[in-house]
Amino acid sequence: MRDLAFFGLAACLLAAAVAVVTAKSLFRAVFALSAALVATAGLYLLLSAPLLAAVQILLYTGGVLTLVVFALVVAGANTEGARWRQPLPAAFMSLAVFVVLAVSARALPAASHVSGLESGKDVGLLLFSDYLVPFELLSVLLLGAVFGALLLARKDRPE
Amino acid sequence: MTLATLLVVAAAVFAIGLFGVLARRHAIGVLLSIELMFNAVNLAIVSIAWSRGLLAGVVLVLFGIAITVAEIAVGLALVLLASRVAKSVILDDLSELKG
Amino acid sequence: MTDALLVLAGPLAAFALLSVLPPLRRSGKPAAALSIAGIGVSLLAAVALFARIRAAGAPSILEIVWAPMTTGPSITFGLLADGISASMAVLVAFVALLVQVYSLSYMSEEKPAAFGRYYTYHSLFAFAMLGLVLAHNLLQTYVFWELVGLGSYLLIGFWFEKPAAGRAALKAFWTTRLGDVGFAIGIVVLWSSAGTFTFTELFAKADSGLLTGTVLTLGVAGIYLGAMGKSAQFPFHIWLPDAMEGPTPVSALIHAATMVAAGVYLMVRIAPLLAHTPQVATVVFSIGVLTAFLAATMALVESDIKRILAFSTVSQLGFMMAAVGAGSASAAYFHLVTHAFFKALLFLAAGSLIHAVHTNDIFKMGRLARVMPVTTACFAAGALALSGVIPTAGFFSKDEVLAAVLAGGHPVGFAILVVTAGMTAFYIGRVFFVAMMGPTNAPGHPHEPPAAMKTPLIVLAVLALVAGALAPLIPRLFAASIAPQALAFEHAPFLVPALGTIAAGIGIALALAGYQLRVFDPANVRRAFRPLVTVLERRWYVDDVFEFGYRFAYLKISNAVGWVDRYIVDGLVNAVTWATWLFAGRLTAMQNGRVQSALYATAFGLVVLVWLAWAQ
Repeated sequence: MRDLAFFGLAACLLAAAVAVVTAKSLFRAVFALSAALVATAGLYLLLSAPLLAAVQILLYTGGVLTLVVFALVVAGANTEGARWRQPLPAAFMSLAVFVVLAVSARALPAASHVSGLESGKDVGLLLFSDYLVPFELLSVLLLGAVFGALLLARKDRPE
Repeated sequence: MTLATLLVVAAAVFAIGLFGVLARRHAIGVLLSIELMFNAVNLAIVSIAWSRGLLAGVVLVLFGIAITVAEIAVGLALVLLASRVAKSVILDDLSELKG
Repeated sequence: MTDALLVLAGPLAAFALLSVLPPLRRSGKPAAALSIAGIGVSLLAAVALFARIRAAGAPSILEIVWAPMTTGPSITFGLLADGISASMAVLVAFVALLVQVYSLSYMSEEKPAAFGRYYTYHSLFAFAMLGLVLAHNLLQTYVFWELVGLGSYLLIGFWFEKPAAGRAALKAFWTTRLGDVGFAIGIVVLWSSAGTFTFTELFAKADSGLLTGTVLTLGVAGIYLGAMGKSAQFPFHIWLPDAMEGPTPVSALIHAATMVAAGVYLMVRIAPLLAHTPQVATVVFSIGVLTAFLAATMALVESDIKRILAFSTVSQLGFMMAAVGAGSASAAYFHLVTHAFFKALLFLAAGSLIHAVHTNDIFKMGRLARVMPVTTACFAAGALALSGVIPTAGFFSKDEVLAAVLAGGHPVGFAILVVTAGMTAFYIGRVFFVAMMGPTNAPGHPHEPPAAMKTPLIVLAVLALVAGALAPLIPRLFAASIAPQALAFEHAPFLVPALGTIAAGIGIALALAGYQLRVFDPANVRRAFRPLVTVLERRWYVDDVFEFGYRFAYLKISNAVGWVDRYIVDGLVNAVTWATWLFAGRLTAMQNGRVQSALYATAFGLVVLVWLAWAQ
């Protein structure tokens, strides 16, 4: 049962990934990406990480992709001419990377662990004990990102 | 659903995302492909964490997602800036640094 | 040793003043006066030096350490005054003085600036030659040797507006330079084994057996090469006939009495070393005989009086070298001294003739005995000395040489030299009879030269006649030298002077018969032997061999080297440039400003890294 779900989700993920890179209209690409992200969230659930699945959907799909859509509206979604530039070298390189990674993945010791991975409480505890400093730094980073994005994207005021 | 299969899937998504990054001409198309690659990496980390029972993997991915959010925000701001200044978001046109 | 230093100081001071004070030099007559004063001082000092050495009966050496060295021998500068060098110094200074006085009149038509330049060169030459004579080690000899070569170059090419003069000066310089390479190598070889340049030390080492074998042979051979160049031994004789482009007094000084004698002088100096290297001595002898013979043959067909005298000089130098090679340095030295007198005399007399009729061609002269009796008499004295007719100085010295050759066990060489003596008498008789006797008058109004030119002639003529009396002096000079074990005065066996006189007699008789009495017509003889005459006129094609060698070897090698430089060396550089541009072009394509190109590189790096990590 588990495996079936896995294969289905994996298939969706892969199909959506392909769609992201091949779609002619970028709106299509955005929607394909959201599908891929949701599929991944599903996989997280299978992997006993429900918090992560929720965060994924909330932040990624909800937040990020909405931003992208707004940006697309402003910047224009159509690529004049071809979608791709020199697809063959790119395909070759991606294939090489895939082969290398896959081969090394198969070389890992096989394991399949099924016990419950986490609960939100455990994650929270970990976050505020061992990983407190990165957590604080992350908030600083987000602050910086906000300011940066604002600064970069505002309209130039006539002096 | 073994670790190996999971990792292979993640590698496949990563490679597909890489293709998009290398081949896409539209800037936002590239950003989307980057998102795919991030996603694949997160999947890989969670898979390994799951196979070893490490909670730290989940925390790591959480951080990763947060950072990605920040990165996308800034990246999009840049794309908007480029569309205003260079009047184009096609990466081929944004090659002032050539030579 | 103040006298020795004065010998050098006189001409050196004159030269120094004349070089650094152009107004003095360009004034003409005052420059000449200064130069003559310099050489006059030199002569007086040389005579004083000679007297002192004769009285002492032993050499006198002045040594100054020039560059003291803690490891190995120091470099010293020294003056060596012994019987040989002191007498040679007197000879050089004396002839130089006569020539400079003669030049007052001979060169009087020159512009003052050129006149001054002429005397400046004369002072330089005198200084260099005297320095060579009085040198106490091989290195110093070499330095002054080169200076002498420079002086010769400057004087031969004095009339530099004449292209032939410039070429002749260069030819002289190059040919002697070729020999000088051998000289330098010889010096270094000897030094490398003996650790010294000084003559006395070298002789001691050779005598004690420390300096021996191949090293000594190579060293002496090298030094002989230098002597070959300067003393015009075959095949390095080619420069001497051409050097006649210079003024006649220069020819008298340099190419009769002093510079060409330097080679013989050097060989006389190192005679003790030569005694230890019989192979080199044999070579010296053989080449000397060959030179004497060939040069005499070439003189037979010449019609330029100076060229005839030049070949004669070469021939007589061959005689001297033959004596050295046969083991008798004293005979060679004696002949050197007498030859200096009578050859200088002949050249100066020829100069008077040329000055009178404005041509060098003897067939354009004639009956000059009538209008120039004093010159003719002097020339006759010189001619008799050259032919070796008793009782001239030439008779005694030539007989010494012939006796030495015979005593050295070289019957064939002796025979050749006797024949050469006969040829010598013939060719100089020919000049005498054609130019000074003969049926037809010379064109123009020739007349006797002024006193400045006549006086040296008379002085030399007297010496040419009476200097035979010096014969017993020579061994005493050698006894007072740094190599006193040398050479006793042997009276030649009667055979030698007899044959010599007969040969001379035949030569003179033939000349008389052909050119004066017209018993036979020399032109017919010339025609009959046409091919041989051509060979002689072309100087045995030695010049052509040199030229061919130069053109072929030297120019071909230069062309080859040039080709290598242009195509291979430059080609390599150009290839590197081309490759650089090629790669640069390719690399520039990578910098296309697009970010994805960089990502390709990153992805590639990733692949490599993972592969490397997992390939372990």
